[in-house]
Amino acid sequence: MGKFKMTMFGLWFTLTLMVALGSSVLKNRVQVLERKLATINSNIQSDIAQIHVLKAEWSHFNTPDRLRKLAYEQLSLENAKPEQIINYSALHFNYEDESAPVLMRSDKKGLTTLVKAEVKKN
Amino acid sequence: MGFNVNFSKRNNENFYLPGQEIKIARGTISSKSYTTESDNVMTCRSRTIVALVCFVLAYLILGVRVSYVCLGNGINIDTAISESADADVFRFKNPVKRADILDRNGEIIATSLPTVNLYANTKKVKNPQDVAEKLNYVFPDVPYEVFESKLSRRGAFVYLKRNLSPAQQMQVNNLGIPGLEFENCETRIYPHKNLFAHVLGKTNVDNEGISGLEKYMNERLTTSTKPLHLTVDLGIQNKIRDELIAGVKQFNAEGAAAILMNVKNGQVVALISVPDYDPNENIKVAERPMFNFATKGIYEAGSVFKVFNTALSLESGKVKVTDRFDTSHPVHYGRLRVTDPHGSHGRLTPEDILVESSNIGSSLEISLVGKKFQRKFLQSINMDKALEEFELPEIAKPQFLSEKRWGEVSMVTISYGYGISSTPLHIISAFSAVVNGGLYRQPTLLEDSKHKSKRVVSEQTSESMRSLLRAVVVRGTGKRANVDGYQVIGKTGTADKLENGRYNHKKSISTFISAFPEKDPKYALIVVMDDPKASKETYGYTTAGWNAVPISKNIISAVAPQLNVRADFDLEKQKSIVDAAYKVKK
Repeated sequence: MGKFKMTMFGLWFTLTLMVALGSSVLKNRVQVLERKLATINSNIQSDIAQIHVLKAEWSHFNTPDRLRKLAYEQLSLENAKPEQIINYSALHFNYEDESAPVLMRSDKKGLTTLVKAEVKKN
Repeated sequence: MGFNVNFSKRNNENFYLPGQEIKIARGTISSKSYTTESDNVMTCRSRTIVALVCFVLAYLILGVRVSYVCLGNGINIDTAISESADADVFRFKNPVKRADILDRNGEIIATSLPTVNLYANTKKVKNPQDVAEKLNYVFPDVPYEVFESKLSRRGAFVYLKRNLSPAQQMQVNNLGIPGLEFENCETRIYPHKNLFAHVLGKTNVDNEGISGLEKYMNERLTTSTKPLHLTVDLGIQNKIRDELIAGVKQFNAEGAAAILMNVKNGQVVALISVPDYDPNENIKVAERPMFNFATKGIYEAGSVFKVFNTALSLESGKVKVTDRFDTSHPVHYGRLRVTDPHGSHGRLTPEDILVESSNIGSSLEISLVGKKFQRKFLQSINMDKALEEFELPEIAKPQFLSEKRWGEVSMVTISYGYGISSTPLHIISAFSAVVNGGLYRQPTLLEDSKHKSKRVVSEQTSESMRSLLRAVVVRGTGKRANVDGYQVIGKTGTADKLENGRYNHKKSISTFISAFPEKDPKYALIVVMDDPKASKETYGYTTAGWNAVPISKNIISAVAPQLNVRADFDLEKQKSIVDAAYKVKK
């Protein structure tokens, strides 16, 4: 057999081995990844179900009656009255003036409100 | 013969390649020894070499690629995902099959939870009494006899308990009884209990809608898991329901209903009918709490109909806002004698007719217009048909007289609200059209609904009507609904209750229909009280001005700020409010 043929045959054999080995490694890697993917998929599915239940629970906690009670007890907040909603033009300070100093005002219940100190307005 | 090869005379040399045995002359091909045979051998050799090189090249490419993939970062996973035709691998579906229902702010108002049902294969259960005893220990709410009876049946499959909690499922599992199995299912949950009972309805044990929106939209809710967005508002609904319940208690009424509608697009922001029920409970509910008065309760609305009577009179062009009608004496139409319950009022304009709620004035107005125009107008505002496009199965068709029975007497009685029965939903839809600039819009509960609108009155008539209705609240029967800053417009109506075909003068249904603000109404509200009782606070009256009107005022005061409707106080008053609130030093 000629030298060329021997070389080619050897090369072919080596490459076949390389491909076989590579394929084997690839298959093994893919199998590992597939197992990981299946686990992740399963976890995601389970998380989706849990999030769904948590959303329902969240909604249950957000019933207006409960929120109103908590807001009143914890923050002394009550429903806004129509007269509490006013036009900007009725304010005694320029609400757009960010440089205006801000004062703190506390009411009897200890609630603090921030108001801008600038009083004069054209 | 092209070939002349003697195979029997093979030389002793080994053959390495196919075709080599037919080689005659070894060595290089000379021009002298050139034969047909040597040409074939050459061809064979060259082909073999070409094939070998091709193989090597192919394997070389494969080898390089495999090495690249295995040893390096040959595949970009992000690119692979985006290029993958089978992209479903990366999409996850919610295990819950029935779609959630959300309010207009995205709050969940109906959802499903995954749960399990317990069933038994009775053929595998060896000792029903023993199993029933154990199950009764886990489920004390189910009597032993029930389990025992179910487990003793001949059939192979029997449900023992539906919708088990995870703890209950574990307890049953721990019993380790052969023949007891679990079935995955889901159960519908309404986190806000009674609040949306008449909007949402409920589902049966198989999670199929049996009433309300759950029934109407059952196909949509079961074929897509995408949440269904409604137009109702959780906070507003809750506030209105609270006020209605307080009103029912205060006036000892049989029930009440309210609808808040966006007059610009027909979207229903709140829809309540009390008494109501908790759709989470799987118990038989009495008939009245199950009845949705807001969409199915047909009744004669009384003086509220004077709104439509005045609107159609102005629209006809035969009555003007400056006209005056003599209401000082009762009017006769055949055997019908029309009087005003509060006595005579003299010469009244259409505005006065609404303010004084004059039956005589209304009858005089419609006498000028005629029954044809009246009937046609009432048909245009859908008073003759059920609102089938509204997304609830609990709707009713108004009692609308046939053309033959629509005589002069009917024409007159209809003008002040007797003779046609309709639902609160019909009334508020028609009222919205009268005050919103004249466009009738189908009421809807779905955010993405695209119902077409139709013009029923001109913009000018609508503007005039708003002005007239404002007078009712400023100096008429709706005075107690005058919420400072919101310019409420409205009309009261009180009608005797029709029972078994006869009017019961001791029972009434009072209605107040309103909208705000006057200049550019955004929302309309109807409050209906079913049989409110007189009390000391109402000075013995049961008319709408004493019950439905103050309830409406409470509702508007509470919900208007939440609805971002700007209060229109005068500037000086607002400044004084700011001064009082912040004690600003000048």
